[in-house]
Amino acid sequence: MQRYLPEHDNLPLVSFCLIALVSLLLVAWGSARYLSQPVRTIWEAVLHISPETANTSAPDLKKVHLGRELVAQLIGHIYQIASVADDVAKVSNSDHKLELRGDFVANSLPLPVVVLDKDMNILFANEALHAYVKRSEAETTGQNVYLVLDMLFSNQNTFDKWLEDVRGKKVTAVRTWERVRLNLPEQKEMRLFDLVAYYNKDNPEGNEIILTIYDRTRQYSQDEQAMGFLALAVHELRTPLTLLRGYIDVFEEEFDGKLSPELTGFMRKMKATAQQLTTFIGNVLNVARFENDQLILKLREEEWAPLLKSAIDDVKLRADVRGVSFTLKIDDNLPTVGVDAVSIYEVVNNLLDNSIKYSKGEKKEVIIKSYLTSNGEVETTVQDFGVGIPESAMGNLFEKFYRDYRNRTQVGGTGMGLYLSKAIISAHGGHIWVRSKEGQGSTFGFTLTPYSRIDDEKKGTGEDITRSAHGWIKNHSMYRR
Amino acid sequence: MAQDFTSPNPIGKKVLCMEDEHFISELYVRALTKAGYDVTVEVDGREGLKLAQTDQFDIILLDLMIPTITGIEVLRHLRNPAETKPLRAKIIITTNLEQREDIRADIEKQADGYLVKAEITPRELVEFLDTIR
Repeated sequence: MQRYLPEHDNLPLVSFCLIALVSLLLVAWGSARYLSQPVRTIWEAVLHISPETANTSAPDLKKVHLGRELVAQLIGHIYQIASVADDVAKVSNSDHKLELRGDFVANSLPLPVVVLDKDMNILFANEALHAYVKRSEAETTGQNVYLVLDMLFSNQNTFDKWLEDVRGKKVTAVRTWERVRLNLPEQKEMRLFDLVAYYNKDNPEGNEIILTIYDRTRQYSQDEQAMGFLALAVHELRTPLTLLRGYIDVFEEEFDGKLSPELTGFMRKMKATAQQLTTFIGNVLNVARFENDQLILKLREEEWAPLLKSAIDDVKLRADVRGVSFTLKIDDNLPTVGVDAVSIYEVVNNLLDNSIKYSKGEKKEVIIKSYLTSNGEVETTVQDFGVGIPESAMGNLFEKFYRDYRNRTQVGGTGMGLYLSKAIISAHGGHIWVRSKEGQGSTFGFTLTPYSRIDDEKKGTGEDITRSAHGWIKNHSMYRR
Repeated sequence: MAQDFTSPNPIGKKVLCMEDEHFISELYVRALTKAGYDVTVEVDGREGLKLAQTDQFDIILLDLMIPTITGIEVLRHLRNPAETKPLRAKIIITTNLEQREDIRADIEKQADGYLVKAEITPRELVEFLDTIR
């Protein structure tokens, strides 16, 4: 006798077991990460202060969710111990029996340390700090910290702002900053360092804040030098470009209507080419700024349609000379958006520039749409009917210097535009995407948040909303007053 | 030494153009005089400062990289009430130099406009100046 079981009799059980197993693994993995984050953060602090691993960055307390207060305190202690560890070791190994007094230890420290009272006046600064800021003890003790340490931070989250936040809310707190700049008065040299601040509200001796400085001038100034070189190179590129655009302007004016169609065409192409070079220089600068944490966007309330149209107008000539036409479908009554006009102009400029470059087929049309999504966001799309993007290249499109190898020989470019656009859109709190089919064209889109939704951030400050694109700023300054 | 370019059709606005790159000032003078501005060009920072302090101009175009004293120093002197009484002229920075953002923000705060020369044509400069009241 043969028994015929239903084909998938045990399927539900197997599926259940599988799902349970996968869920269990996911939960285990998640909680292990969650639980181990505090330990990892403390370990990062240890690595950060160790001379052998001096290149490790300072720990980021924001990543810690479990017991953040405790971890912050522990890290504070680690930095304090680090400040004295070497010298304690020296003293205890020496034959001399020295009384281990706090200021002695602090004074023989290699790291500049400064202790502040509630009014930000310096209670104590060690000898390393005196040497660092080139001031004597008499010139530092009792002084306001800002007179001695003229610090500049790479973004809005400054020491001041942090202190304002922690006072009244916390008993103890620790925070680190990277790449803090110190301007020394009457001295050309500049210092760059990582700063650790330890806050203790109830310190019985009135030592409210301890600042420790980890000098990174050599490491960071290499980046600064690269930026300096870039600034110089950009200046040298811009001067002939200014002239080139100026002369084209003159010829255009003088020869208006007097040139043959062929020469008029050349003139327009020359002008479009010069414009393209301007965009390129802007991209080079902005990529460098972005990577040096200096691309800071100021979000303001703007009408989107006029802004978009003006960016489109500026690219029209480039489209014309390549035989590409623009079709605009911009919805009426779009809400105002919170954008940095200068940076968002560059995003539109880059997307349109690409759509023109890649419009190689028969249909040389670019459709630009802007509408409100069902999520209430303002979405803008740029669609071309050109060469399209192969599946294999889609994942890397927004990476720096990425260029699809098949297009490299056909279309010029550097792979900076999309990388930068993504950085700018992300900093705006939106997202950028692409849909494409090889041979049929591509659609790039990005979303912007209506101003009414981000206005909350602004409430209470009365200032522009400032967000850093992993931190920094703008380049296109036309008509900025 | 300052050079005067009087417009054939003056609209009554006087421009001091502090610019040491002759090719650039030549283009600016051409576009501005055509539009009816009276333009004075000065290549030297210190001389330009003295001229600006006479307060006879409506608009000052100030390049940041000029000889003897830089445009930033000129601006500082012009905005120092101990040295210069408040000017009626609008000061527009025209530069191709890239600044550190904090320095640039400081310059922008003191000036009435900040233009990157490579990003505008002479005609666009005129359009921009026409908007200044």
